[in-house]
Amino acid sequence: MQLIERASKGDQQAFRALYDANVDRIYRLAYRMAGEEDLAKDFTQETFLRVYQRLDQFRGDAAFSTWLHSIAVSVALNGLRKVDRHRKRERSLEDAAHVIPGNSPVEPGLRDRIEDAVNQLPDIYKTVFLMHDLEGYTHGEIAETLGVAEGTSKARLSRARAKLREKLGDAMQEYV
Amino acid sequence: MSEDPMDRILDAARETYHAPGRTPKEAMWEVIQRGTEAAPGDDVIDLTAVRNARPVRRYRSYAWAAAAAAALVLGIGIGRMTTRVGGDSSLANAADGVPTSLRFAAAEHFGRTESLLTMVRADARQGRIDPMTSTWARGLLVQTRLLIDYGSGAEPAMQELLEDLELVLVQIVGLAGSGSMEGDRTRMELELAVRGVEERELLPRLQAAGRPLGFSGA
Repeated sequence: MQLIERASKGDQQAFRALYDANVDRIYRLAYRMAGEEDLAKDFTQETFLRVYQRLDQFRGDAAFSTWLHSIAVSVALNGLRKVDRHRKRERSLEDAAHVIPGNSPVEPGLRDRIEDAVNQLPDIYKTVFLMHDLEGYTHGEIAETLGVAEGTSKARLSRARAKLREKLGDAMQEYV
Repeated sequence: MSEDPMDRILDAARETYHAPGRTPKEAMWEVIQRGTEAAPGDDVIDLTAVRNARPVRRYRSYAWAAAAAAALVLGIGIGRMTTRVGGDSSLANAADGVPTSLRFAAAEHFGRTESLLTMVRADARQGRIDPMTSTWARGLLVQTRLLIDYGSGAEPAMQELLEDLELVLVQIVGLAGSGSMEGDRTRMELELAVRGVEERELLPRLQAAGRPLGFSGA
């Protein structure tokens, strides 16, 4: 709380400490949601700028990290709405190669099918899936971040997985 | 013991789906620092107004959540009664995946949401937002989420509309809840919310869906 109070009074060192403590998780989540480095950077920067501007409003009812994540998810979802939905589909193979680690043991065919299947998930399911299954957030953290009940988070994850299973079931049998 | 295919999907997704590289920490910090130094106080919302409104808004949000849930249950109840009393088999059969009672509740909800969005759009033209909008939008957001959770997924068009609404309503709740339209950033966010409404053609879609058979009858 001390750091937050100091940062809200303009102490840059305190704000930097808050940034250092949280930036990796926020950037990772932004990247998972955006899929592009530039967008992930924009979303992360925008998140921290908003937080800085609104530090006075943080009342400590929730953890600072939860508050920060709520802003990050909101910034990313709103930002992605501005991005042409079809742009990712038109992305060149070179870009795709840049995004995906070269030494990945996952078959390219499977990789593409997973990308398509996850992209097709509705935002509300995809966000929970990315946070829980790919980034390891707990349902409690997700629920607080998204402002929903923990049961809703679990239900959305379950639906996301069911949709993925449905779309990728055949492919998985080939690769297992 | 064979491996669950879902585990394999998750492992592969963790490894390949938008896998983040190293965090460009310093590069981002430079931009953030420039932003924080640029004009302290600019684009910052009116904190006094926010503080003053806080207890009221908090109380009202709980009241609205309860009211939204009650309205939904009531809407479903009315839908059931209407279907039963009217005995209109076309209504009962119209809902391929979504129960007719839920369809009635959704239609009523869409009508109210259309009114809100119309008002927000009109306010945006004048560069302001009504302070009560947040409370109103919060109730509709709760109800939207209830409808999503109640199984609108059986009707893809309804599900898509509800998800689009959820995004816009979250934006409006946050925006109107900020308590003031001072600052370029807040004005820009309002414009973006309105643009979202227009780009997604939410108003015509709501008008079409505002009838109990809006989706299946199309």
